[in-house]
Amino acid sequence: MSARAARVVLSMCAALVAMSVLIAQERPMQLDDTKVPKGRPVPRMANGKPDLSGYWKGTTQTRPGGNIGKDLPGWKLPLTPAGEAALKHNLTATVDPEAVCIIGGIPRHNASGLPFEVLQGNNKITFMYWYSYFRLIPFTPGLKHSDDPDPSFFGEEIGRWEGDTLVIDSIGFKEEKVWIDENANPHSDALHVVERWTRPDYNHIHVETLIEDSKFYTKPFTYSRTWALGEADEQIQEYSCSENNVDAAHLGFGPGPIRPDGTRGYVDPAPLPPPVPKR
Amino acid sequence: MTARIALLVLLLVAAVTGRLAAHHSFAAEFDATKAIRVTGTLAKVEWTNPHTYFYVDVKDESGAVVRWACESGAPGALSRRGFKRSLLKLGDTLIVDGYRAKNGANLMDARRVTLPDGQILSGASAGDGGPQ
Repeated sequence: MSARAARVVLSMCAALVAMSVLIAQERPMQLDDTKVPKGRPVPRMANGKPDLSGYWKGTTQTRPGGNIGKDLPGWKLPLTPAGEAALKHNLTATVDPEAVCIIGGIPRHNASGLPFEVLQGNNKITFMYWYSYFRLIPFTPGLKHSDDPDPSFFGEEIGRWEGDTLVIDSIGFKEEKVWIDENANPHSDALHVVERWTRPDYNHIHVETLIEDSKFYTKPFTYSRTWALGEADEQIQEYSCSENNVDAAHLGFGPGPIRPDGTRGYVDPAPLPPPVPKR
Repeated sequence: MTARIALLVLLLVAAVTGRLAAHHSFAAEFDATKAIRVTGTLAKVEWTNPHTYFYVDVKDESGAVVRWACESGAPGALSRRGFKRSLLKLGDTLIVDGYRAKNGANLMDARRVTLPDGQILSGASAGDGGPQ
């Protein structure tokens, strides 16, 4: 390496170190679970049930993020022919609904990279999301689904406790303008989701999800995930999706390429121009 | 070679910080094969959700002024990493490195912003699947 090239590399590294320091000051949206404390007792409500309240962040161990097929071999979803057609439609004729400020719904929010916040009461629990969306789930004993619920993005959600597990059973979903995950996989209005939420210890929340959709999937499949507790002073902030959504007019259809590891994005992006050496 | 080292260091930084937050996929809007540098005068700032935008006026070869829109992360995400609204001063000359919109508009994803004093800021919309 020539002396000039060495100087360029050194100045570039110095600039990158400066930028990495700035980035390091940002509180990460994800946590490395190997560094999260384990085993601290679960907080409980006055009625003895686990308190699921907290500001919950994904972990870097969740891979591939954003893919509802995360737990399936090769991330291969069991699509029916109608499901294959719906996926093709999503990829070639729809922009990401969340990018045009449509609610992601369930189970997509459980596959999101964004943190969420839970507040639990005696008869209801609320899950609050960035984008200023929330879902409020009653778990009063004896609740039953409606015969013909109005379709919605979160569905008609009914909760119940099974021991220390909060079970949320949801039907009545929308069929249009929904992606089941960030990779544009589909779901239909036949979707039935059963979430089983637990708090294994103070610093973790976990969900086991059963996803049934006989129109678009040949068999039920599961999706599980663990999140870690954020800092005590962290919480959901204002996030008005429609305030200045300039990018909506520039978005192409679908999520773009999906990498071999199951995540969205380019495999080999062109490098940026080298940083400008500090004068 | 320097570009490769830069990419490696950036990827390392991204891996260490493990940030995630995204309004849409990078690849749905931007072309990762079109890495560009825009140098111009800061003309306008929109410190808004779901993305911040700042606009720089760039003189082309004929002397005409072309305005580029530079898309960055949400205000909260930028602020938490030290990229504050107050650092952007109208009239300043900025160097913006990023990727151009796939539709050919004068719109870029501002992954790296260099201020007049040499300070480098990350404008990336973290977790969008784009280059970090």
